[in-house]
Amino acid sequence: MVESARDHSAAESLPPGRWLHRWSIVIVGLVWPLIWVGGQVTTYDAGMAVPDWPGTYGYNLLLYPYQTWLLGPFDLFIEHGHRLLGALVGLVSIVAVGFAFFSEPRRWVRWLSVLVLLAVIGQGLLGGARVVLADRTLAMLHGCTAEIFFSLCVGLMVVTSRWWWERDGSEPESSGRRDFRPGAGLMTVSLAVCGLAYLQVVLGAQLRHVQPTAAPGGFTHLVMTHISTAFVILALAAWLAWRLSRAAGQNGERSAGCGDLTLSRPASLLLIFVLWQILLGSVTWVARYGIPWWAQVGPRSASYLVKSQAFAESLMITGHVATGALVLVTSVFLMLRLWRVRFAANQAIERAGSAAVVL
Amino acid sequence: MIPFRAFRLAGASARSVRLVGILAILGIVGCDAATDRFAANELHGRVVSFRESTGVAAAVEDSAAVVGELFGNPDVPLLPESFPDGLIDLENLQRAAGPVSSDREDVHFGIYRAHCVVCHGLEGGGAGPAAALQNPYPRDFRAGIFKFKSSPRGEKPLRADLTDLLVRGAPGTSMPSFARLPEEDIEAVVDYVIYLSIRGETERRLQRFAVAELGYGDERPDSTADRLLTDGEGHFQSAEIGSAVSQIITDVASAWIDARPVEVPAPPVYSAEAELDAAIERGRQRFHGPVANCASCHGKDGNADAVTLDYDDWTKEQTTRLGLTPSDADQIAPLRRAGALRPRAIQPRRLAWGVYRGTADPESLYRRLVVGIDGTPMPGLLVQEATGATGVTSTEVWELVAFLLSLDGRKDLLLTPSSRQEG
Ligand code: HEC
Ligand code: HEC
Ligand code: HEM
Repeated sequence: MVESARDHSAAESLPPGRWLHRWSIVIVGLVWPLIWVGGQVTTYDAGMAVPDWPGTYGYNLLLYPYQTWLLGPFDLFIEHGHRLLGALVGLVSIVAVGFAFFSEPRRWVRWLSVLVLLAVIGQGLLGGARVVLADRTLAMLHGCTAEIFFSLCVGLMVVTSRWWWERDGSEPESSGRRDFRPGAGLMTVSLAVCGLAYLQVVLGAQLRHVQPTAAPGGFTHLVMTHISTAFVILALAAWLAWRLSRAAGQNGERSAGCGDLTLSRPASLLLIFVLWQILLGSVTWVARYGIPWWAQVGPRSASYLVKSQAFAESLMITGHVATGALVLVTSVFLMLRLWRVRFAANQAIERAGSAAVVL
Repeated sequence: MIPFRAFRLAGASARSVRLVGILAILGIVGCDAATDRFAANELHGRVVSFRESTGVAAAVEDSAAVVGELFGNPDVPLLPESFPDGLIDLENLQRAAGPVSSDREDVHFGIYRAHCVVCHGLEGGGAGPAAALQNPYPRDFRAGIFKFKSSPRGEKPLRADLTDLLVRGAPGTSMPSFARLPEEDIEAVVDYVIYLSIRGETERRLQRFAVAELGYGDERPDSTADRLLTDGEGHFQSAEIGSAVSQIITDVASAWIDARPVEVPAPPVYSAEAELDAAIERGRQRFHGPVANCASCHGKDGNADAVTLDYDDWTKEQTTRLGLTPSDADQIAPLRRAGALRPRAIQPRRLAWGVYRGTADPESLYRRLVVGIDGTPMPGLLVQEATGATGVTSTEVWELVAFLLSLDGRKDLLLTPSSRQEG
């Protein structure tokens, strides 16, 4: 089996910089909760629960008395909690740069880790400026850049992984189905999904941080675009999942079994996330604006009551934000892997000097 | 332990980083939309313009300026000097206004913008960012008409009606329940709603006053003595106009102070199930009968199978009452441009489902039947001493209530406690 062969070769040459990889997993694992907490801050409109920055009510961020934080008002609890978690991610990113410069051989990856650090600093400054200037536009921007930061972290995680090292096209045997080379169509679709997923993030942020003076027409358009784009993403993600589940094959034939699992699994996951996200989006609408009149088909739906500040509802709304982030980073993850496979295949072709199968 | 000095250093450098960061960001992005003034009510200006067949640009502009001076702005609302005491608590008002924030004592500021503006809009005009996607549309407070209240038709709601609505919400619409907000915040935002309503109604009346009495049009009247002109501190150059404006404010505000609930006679209490059932049956027949004729709108047995095409008063004011057809996009285009939402037909409630947007206890239902629902085609019943061709007796109203209660399995409410247990 390929697996055992891989284990064998891996034991001989552990990829360099694997601490950086592990650490980047830690960052990714921290940033997702950070997005949850930040999302809750917006869901509860608690962005101005602490008037100052970088301090919290005059205290140093890290010295704010924890009793008043934990037992104080809910808004203060999540807002300050978001700052603390953000600070932790900042510290962890500093360590990542240390690991990168200590053990990572590729220069561009070292700089990628620096970029992650700069991004988290920028993100913090933006959050701070939102507070100091009491500006909702900056809060919206902060929400949009958060997802870029998250994508960068996932990018760092992917390019430092063993999988990435193995797919360098140098050892045909170790690179799995080397006969598979993602074509331009596949690359375009996967890039398009990344772009559209990010568009959704931006549109969603406009909805959540809408200006009080905004005209109804603009908001309506945003909602319509947000919903239509969701279905475009769904179609593309479904196609990717289908396409990658039967990706590899000799001479252009589609193999009957699974394709490369390291591609088809993320693609299926992406599809699942998108479906779940559409469900959560609908729930979010209902939690905020009630069941639309055209869907009031019986006494239960016709008596649905919107409850402001309800906790369960807030989790679903924020869950929609957090799953949106998962849709984005899963698409980035898949795109990077496809790109790597394509690169490896190109390398292999060059090496072999003969035309391999192009799908 | 990390030495304290390290923190101080971090603090100092963070401050400079912060400055640089802010400057950099400010250079790139603009700031929030300004909220230091209420937009003029262009829409009502259009209505006046249609009604009077005249331009209104100057009337709209000057009315807005005067109202702005007297009532302040969305960040700092004020009450005019002539405003009656005891209706609105200024401190509450200013806490409910302005941008959203909260402090360590969990005092919340900007409650209206946190919870209401997305639907009701900054001016309370009912055309907030999310309004167009809803049916019914969020309320335009500026017309001063409210649906779910206990006062007679055409009168203002009681303060308690509004507090009650905020806690309860309106099921089946997007109007949320704010039961989770602390009582003080509900009180504060109710003050703000009353303020927006009075402020908005004053502006509307001023526009009409300016056009009808002062000779305003697209241009200002020739003589400055006829203009809505102040010294910038709310004092009018013409004493006569000044007192007319105060009178308008006093009229609008005292309507709120004078609001009283409709008296409801004690419900008949039925001591036997059979007796109640007979009353329900009489109610059912009256529901379908010629006087009450509820079925003509609500359908047979409240099944909503009647075909109706009607609009609420907020829509009618901008369409049918100006001789415009609501469904004719070209005709209503000028009003849409002035901010009107696309007209939507109003649906009589499907009573068979037993879903109420207003309070639904027997007493409230009685009131709703005799008052009707303000701002909607739902008429009130004329209560008379004896049954007649135009009205009904209060007992007969109670029988209608009994019928309504029977639709959602609550008829027991009208049984005496002892017979309820037997049943
Ligand atoms: C999600 C949208 C939404 C939000 C948020 C919202 N409302 Fe409403 N509101 C509505 C709608 C829709 C109606 C109209 C209901 C109807 O006509 O049956 C309404 C009606 C009202 C009415 C009129 C009730 C009557 O008797 O006529 C008041 C008063 C009101 N809202 C106050 C508020 C206040 C105060 C807030 C904030 C604390 C708020 N609303 C937040 C949608 C909203
Ligand atoms: C001209 C048409 C018309 C007639 C006649 C009419 N209604 Fe209505 N009714 C309406 C409309 C429209 C509404 C919805 C109002 C709104 O938007 O909230 C309504 C709402 C109601 C409600 C719901 C109140 C709530 O809290 O949700 C009740 C109860 C009701 N009507 C009972 C009656 C009864 C009983 C009669 C006869 C005595 C009657 N109606 C006659 C049009 C009518
Ligand atoms: C692939 C599909 C989707 C993605 C990736 C996505 C993504 C997002 C994101 C990231 C946000 C929050 C942005 C932020 O706060 O920074 C958001 C908000 C929102 N989305 Fe979606 N969304 C999708 C589909 C949908 C659908 C189908 C609906 C409705 C039926 C919907 C309704 C909403 C609403 C109402 C908000 C605003 C929530 C609020 O007011 O708090 N979304 N979306």
